[in-house]
Amino acid sequence: MPFTRDFESIKTALNLVEECDKTSIDVGLVGAAQHILEEWGNGTPCQIVLVTDGNAGTGQHSLQKSMMSSHSRGASQFPLPFPFPAKLTIVCIANPTEPCLQTSKPLYQRLIELNGEGDILVPDGSLSKKTVTEMFDQLIKNNFSSYSGTLHCGNLSAPVTLSPPPQPYCRHHDFEVMRVSVDSAIQVLGFLNTGDVSSPPAFSRHLVLPLSAKGDMVMLPKVDPGSDDEGGGGNDEGKIPSFCVLLHGGLKRENMVALCQVGENWHGILYSWADNKKKSNLMLSLFVPGLDVIPWMGKLSYLGPASQLPVNPYGPSDTSSPFPLKVHEKKSYALNCVVWVRQGGLQSDIQKILRHARKLPDKIQSFYKELNRVRRAALSYGFGELLEGLANVLERECTLLPSTAHPDAAIQLQHAYEALRNSDKKDIRQNIAPLKTTFSGND
Amino acid sequence: MTFPTSHKTVFVMDHSLTTSSGVKLEMDSFSKSRSSSGSNSQPLVQPMNLIPLLPVTKSLWTCAVEAITEYCRIVWDIFPGTRLIRFIAVDKTTHKLSSWNLEDQSLTNLMNAFMMLGPAKNVGVGKLDLLKGLRAAIEALTEPSAIQHEKRTSLTENATKVLNKGRIILVTKVDCEEEVKTLKEKFHDTLLHLNKIAASTDNLMAINHCDLVLLNLWPEGPGCPIPRRSWPDVSTIMSCELTNIQGGTALAPKLCNLVLKHYDLASTTVTGIPMKEEQNASSSANYDVELFHPAAAHAAILKGIPAETAHLKTYREGTDYETVTLKWCTPRSNASIELQHCSSAYRITSVDVNSRPSSCLTNFLLNGRWVMLEMPRKSGSKVISHMLACHGGDIYIHTMYTSRSILEDPPSISEGCGGRVTDYRIPDFGELIKANRLAPYPDSALESDDNTTPLEKSREQLSRHTKYWPITLSTTSLFTLGSQIEPLTTLMLKETLTEAEVIECKQVILCLMSMEARGDPLPSPMAGQRGKGMKREDQYRVVWTELEQYLQLHLHSADHEKVLECFMECHNKVETPEYKGDDKVDIDQALKELDDYNYMTEREKADFNLSSGTKHTPAELPIPDSKRRRTAPPPLAPMGRSSGVSLLTLWENKVASEQSRRCLEFQGRLKAEDNVTKLYVSLQKDKDKDEGSRKKTT
Repeated sequence: MPFTRDFESIKTALNLVEECDKTSIDVGLVGAAQHILEEWGNGTPCQIVLVTDGNAGTGQHSLQKSMMSSHSRGASQFPLPFPFPAKLTIVCIANPTEPCLQTSKPLYQRLIELNGEGDILVPDGSLSKKTVTEMFDQLIKNNFSSYSGTLHCGNLSAPVTLSPPPQPYCRHHDFEVMRVSVDSAIQVLGFLNTGDVSSPPAFSRHLVLPLSAKGDMVMLPKVDPGSDDEGGGGNDEGKIPSFCVLLHGGLKRENMVALCQVGENWHGILYSWADNKKKSNLMLSLFVPGLDVIPWMGKLSYLGPASQLPVNPYGPSDTSSPFPLKVHEKKSYALNCVVWVRQGGLQSDIQKILRHARKLPDKIQSFYKELNRVRRAALSYGFGELLEGLANVLERECTLLPSTAHPDAAIQLQHAYEALRNSDKKDIRQNIAPLKTTFSGND
Repeated sequence: MTFPTSHKTVFVMDHSLTTSSGVKLEMDSFSKSRSSSGSNSQPLVQPMNLIPLLPVTKSLWTCAVEAITEYCRIVWDIFPGTRLIRFIAVDKTTHKLSSWNLEDQSLTNLMNAFMMLGPAKNVGVGKLDLLKGLRAAIEALTEPSAIQHEKRTSLTENATKVLNKGRIILVTKVDCEEEVKTLKEKFHDTLLHLNKIAASTDNLMAINHCDLVLLNLWPEGPGCPIPRRSWPDVSTIMSCELTNIQGGTALAPKLCNLVLKHYDLASTTVTGIPMKEEQNASSSANYDVELFHPAAAHAAILKGIPAETAHLKTYREGTDYETVTLKWCTPRSNASIELQHCSSAYRITSVDVNSRPSSCLTNFLLNGRWVMLEMPRKSGSKVISHMLACHGGDIYIHTMYTSRSILEDPPSISEGCGGRVTDYRIPDFGELIKANRLAPYPDSALESDDNTTPLEKSREQLSRHTKYWPITLSTTSLFTLGSQIEPLTTLMLKETLTEAEVIECKQVILCLMSMEARGDPLPSPMAGQRGKGMKREDQYRVVWTELEQYLQLHLHSADHEKVLECFMECHNKVETPEYKGDDKVDIDQALKELDDYNYMTEREKADFNLSSGTKHTPAELPIPDSKRRRTAPPPLAPMGRSSGVSLLTLWENKVASEQSRRCLEFQGRLKAEDNVTKLYVSLQKDKDKDEGSRKKTT
């Protein structure tokens, strides 16, 4: 059965399900997980409802066995936790007093613990149509109620709903387990250039839809001049201004995003988003909870009004930007660091020195720079033998100089190889400096 | 993964590995290229008169340091500040080369530390005590890192739950299995012992779990006799592993494998990068570059059904780990200004960092270009699955959404509530957005006296900027005036006003007044909307009402009040007693008077002005009560040059009204009922009270 909103087809499909004699919950969960991954990938929050008679299964492949093995599990075998944000609700259509359910319950509890998010529902009272209906009503109330909140921007506000409803966040970070839910108040805290936020990773995305003053969702009919009074009520709502529409318009016009807070230490951005050319909408991307979640924006609580800084970092004509934050320590790919662990690294470093050596005295600065780079690395790696070897190579270069060579070339080469050989006699931290000669007077 | 083992790693390095690794570098070959320049095809001829140069050989120690720095390079590129590594070298004594401090977590500092340590030393047989080094390593692990310390002392409920895990990697050469066994056992005993000591102190943390890795370094040549082994559960607090690693070409891939495993990293090979040939700039060839990043970056594409993605995974030549191959897409120039939808972003590093293709790709990214990566699907279709982008000097791999979106065919904002309204003040809101832009605050600005974060400050500012903000044009007259009310509406939003700014605001008010007096039409487009059909003076009246409301809401400081005062004063003196009463009458009366006025001769006008001027005697003016005025503002009579009221009269009125406010009304008159004031009221009260209490007692 593919994902559908067609109630009848679901009903038909359910009637076709054959009863079997074995309960393998884990197999069912694996199937559900695959089904979801195929369709929605691993980033879409999902609800998984397991409807059961309260029997967790017995025998060789029972749930208990699989969970025991899951301790040292080959992760692909056991489905929990689901590889996507998911809430697992186990609905037991069984008498609460039934002994079978009593034995299964701790197992179910363990399943939910493994998944991190979820619930077990048991009828309130003995099994009857009424208690089961109530239990499902509870399920709907707990998991499928729509979000209703208020979008605030200073003293401006609008009632909104989010689609899909935001799920609580519960994940393990390096040093803490984060558990946080979205508040009913979404508070705009300030604005940022779209280019500056630089496509930050989002935990989830939600359409922000304005609600009417009564708190209803209103969908206006497509503009249709032929239509009569039927859509009249909706049209009235369309004519009552909503701050949402203003915010959307402003963000779109300025190509900016609004940083907002949705919960304790939980932030996101609001922006105008267009699925296609025509229809644009207000979208909320939630970050992962925490204050230091987008490295190039720095700690979010350290962002403040640019206008109150002594010098506005955006410049008088909007030409500059304080983002992205520059990193303190350059990474290896920006450092020209020395790596000799692979064949060829050392070789090409020496060849580079020789290339410059053959163009002395023109390339004198580059020659010494490369020479010192290799020398320092050799000393760090405890590779003294290389210094002697390199000195020999330079000495030979010196003897091979053609008669037309600049006299300074020979002098510098000699200076360099002698310095390499004397490395242990001087402070090794000192770089080899170019020799001042009468020929290099105009340096 | 909470409290990852990889948070803290200690390398214990055997500083006595003077043995040759067998890895040689031919020095003789370097000199040959000169004589053969330009003729690569010909066999090279050794110059006759040269003594051949000896090749240089790396010691095992050199191989170890090279390998370890590469290990650190990868870790620190990808996890700056969150994965810490420190070093201990052992020869006759134990050398602690670094600490958990963040300054020590850099390649430059590490290289310097090794430089100061110097090459491997020969120690006598039996003089090397690796256990001493391991002991120092365990001690190092019991020292909390900065973040552990912070969490442990955070006084939250989680503080006691901070787990201390770590890894110790011993780099040495083991000759027999017996040695491994002894090391492992003695290590475990030491661990237990030191844990006891740590538990009894305040500043040290007992180790909850330690992973001991024995890195057995062997020279190039025949394989190592001791097989690779692992003991995942030596005890509940210790696991152990023996890994052989051989000098030479096999070293780098082996090392990569180790880093990938220890830090849960994965490899991506970007294929099909077009690059100009070094020799021939006109032609270009395609190259591959291998990158490392946290394995989670692959989760989105690999977590599904294994068979669907099996074709993406391959082994690169000489490696024993999988790499996922993704195709380079010609970058779009505008990618960086659009919001791409991504679910994660992780730092990367290139594997062969100094190779030409790698540095070409990283420089391309460092220069601000974004590169999309394409994943071929099993079905043959392609999808953009990742994006490489540099932010502030670090290169990241972003994971894009590749699966079906639940937000298919969303409605347009114009189809919802408020969607049919067409007169939103969007340009004005754009200005508000720009005025409330966020910027990172320097550390120095964080220690503000009022303990508010910069972000809270921004929220306050936003609240100040929206104290009075009609969202549509039809609900405001004031903001349709455009430049006429500038800079008042900008300045009043500020927290404080300077003297000059107060004057500027006052000028806006006075300017508006004189416009009204001259009978200038309001320079607003609203004439076509809300003001349609409204008489000019009504338009002004609406503006004044709104302006007063606006000023009332923006009393952020004493200076702001001055502006409001100015507004009040300007309006008081033209208020006539006749206008008190019903609003409706006010307008009619005003209109009538105005009509009359227009028909008057010059002489009559002068008289009228004179009489109305005298009517406004200060005594008749009520003390301004802003609350009341807010609901029923007085209409304004025409004044200004044409009405003949001189500046002197204006001034006198102003002074008089100020005086009237300064001198307090006599208390007795205020309380009077029918002009009679009861005296000694309190005496009467006392008397009543006395009587009351007497009644109670009796």
